[in-house]
Amino acid sequence: MIRGGRAIDGKRVLRLAGGLQMRTGNLLAGACLVAAALALAALATGLGLTDTGLADLFRTLAGESLPGAENYALWTVRLPRILLGFMVGWAVALAGAMLQSVARNPLADPGLFGFSQGSMTMIMLLLVFLPAAPKSLVVLAALAGGLTVAGLLLWLVGSERSSGLSIVLMGIAIETVLSSFGSLLILYLPTETSIALSEWLAGSLFQANWTVIAAFAPLFVLSLAAIFVLGPAMATYDLGSEMAMALGEPVGRSRPLILLTAVVLSSAAVTAVGPLVFLGVLAPHIAGFLSPAVARARLFLSALMGGILVLLADALTRGLGGSLPMPLGLSLTMVGVPLFIIALRLQALRKLQSH
Amino acid sequence: MRFLVSCAIAALLATSPVLAAERTVTDDTGRKVTIPEQPEHIVVMHEPLLGIPLMDLGLDLTGSFGRADDGSFVIAVDFIDTVLGEGKTKPKGFGPVGQLDLEKLRALEPDLIVASELDAGKADQLATVAPVYLQNVGSSKVYGFDVEEDLAALVGREDVFAARKAAYEKRVEDLRAKLPFDPAGRTYLPVFLTDQLNVVGDSSGMVQALEDLGYSRLEVGAPSGASPAGGSMMLMPLSAEEFGKLDPDVLVLLNSYMAGGRDEAGTRASLSKIVPGWDQFMKPAKENRILFVDPAKVITPSVASAEHMLDAIAGWNETTQ
Repeated sequence: MIRGGRAIDGKRVLRLAGGLQMRTGNLLAGACLVAAALALAALATGLGLTDTGLADLFRTLAGESLPGAENYALWTVRLPRILLGFMVGWAVALAGAMLQSVARNPLADPGLFGFSQGSMTMIMLLLVFLPAAPKSLVVLAALAGGLTVAGLLLWLVGSERSSGLSIVLMGIAIETVLSSFGSLLILYLPTETSIALSEWLAGSLFQANWTVIAAFAPLFVLSLAAIFVLGPAMATYDLGSEMAMALGEPVGRSRPLILLTAVVLSSAAVTAVGPLVFLGVLAPHIAGFLSPAVARARLFLSALMGGILVLLADALTRGLGGSLPMPLGLSLTMVGVPLFIIALRLQALRKLQSH
Repeated sequence: MRFLVSCAIAALLATSPVLAAERTVTDDTGRKVTIPEQPEHIVVMHEPLLGIPLMDLGLDLTGSFGRADDGSFVIAVDFIDTVLGEGKTKPKGFGPVGQLDLEKLRALEPDLIVASELDAGKADQLATVAPVYLQNVGSSKVYGFDVEEDLAALVGREDVFAARKAAYEKRVEDLRAKLPFDPAGRTYLPVFLTDQLNVVGDSSGMVQALEDLGYSRLEVGAPSGASPAGGSMMLMPLSAEEFGKLDPDVLVLLNSYMAGGRDEAGTRASLSKIVPGWDQFMKPAKENRILFVDPAKVITPSVASAEHMLDAIAGWNETTQ
């Protein structure tokens, strides 16, 4: 049974029979974002040289066969890009939102903590020593790199009473060291390896195919479970680790678990499309502007926004279609940063008006 | 039963031209690739290193990565014009450099995609369109116009290559006879000017021509940390200080495609920015032992580029005599 009501702050909420409570505004924002993601995906099925799109997709789903070019464009190029792009954006944004709560810092994301650099450095080292390494080994290397950084971070930060700021500062230090090492590797590696790495560092959905999607899909499902399991802890971490402990949050156990989840999500995304710089910061902020939320709702809205931003960026990349190369990382910045600036500016104006 | 056997034989005969028209080869990275016996719609992933050698064998390219949709070239130099001469049919592009468009590639209906070992990471995706053959182009792996010879074997044009090579070797002999000295035992050093000095690698028509004449490369030590085996065209960077001390019998200078001019004046100006006053103290400069060549003509691993180099040496020989 679902009942309507109001929360302590006066906002409308829906209360479920089990005691679960959801803000109506968050639900509405979530529904709008899902609708926006579906609309964008539908639009993206029609972007490209071949004249095909959503109508043809429905036709094939209904059992009709398409001519070779249309079938190839839809099923080999566009749908894998759309699905992988959304899942990767979802994963990076979710990791960013989790880390921001743990660090109590709105700038935290997998890049700032050094997780992305850890994964990248390990992949680079693998490619140096084993240029023809299979993709499964690349995934493991990315995961090992991210986990090593997370372990190092936890060890350096020390006790569970350490503040979020110390995690961020230590993360920046590790990230800086690893970035320098990465630059050194690119500079001194043979040209062919450097070129391959540089292309990957710029970010691209070119490698999107059903095999990669099949590998990423279980992680996407697990991320949904992580939102439900770890979401409530985020609300307590937003108040600081000491307050979280005071509220009964087992920080010693949950913080490593949150970091591990963020590392796995970030490493998988880095392996699939390269580092998506700043997405972990952009998406939670824009989602927070659309509908301020905490706990599960914040994670869900942030992840949805991350997926939408990557879909938008890929649509821009493919929509331009001219002779101008547009790596995913660049188009993501072009799409996300103006939205980010507008959101921050409107937030500032809103605050000014309320005073 | 007899009817079924007849049908099976008929079906086999009907498909046999297709079966016979394909063969399986192993590319330079060890991949097994089934390609048409006589590929007719070839697409290349690197025009100067793979496309020019194929066109030098008399083939027309269907597509070339880096060209625009209308066939115009996106970088400063159109190698088809500079190496093979103007008026050739230009291949079509399939996305800007760094952003390959698989749909555009498929629309070209290629039956073979020739890529380099640098494209190994893209091979699986490219293979969704057509068979992908990865050819080594790196300086440490191939020499002179080996790439053209390898590709001639790939596309079944060994006879064309043999004829091209025989004509080239005749020109080498003729030129050697005209030179006032025997190049054997003399050294050369090719240096490509970008914003730094780069020693050019072994995979080019230029190097093939110089060494076939008898010149041998001046060995230059790799600076610490540099990779002498890396790169597709360049062997390694060279410091301005080290460069000033070098004294090859022939210093071959090539100016960047992006710089103001690829002629002698442009090359001299570019080098003066990197090594000011070089023409006042370098022995090859003072003794007029410098050969200025246009990289857009001689740098590709093709017989045509080797012939351009022979032309450049012949012209230089006439002016210095």
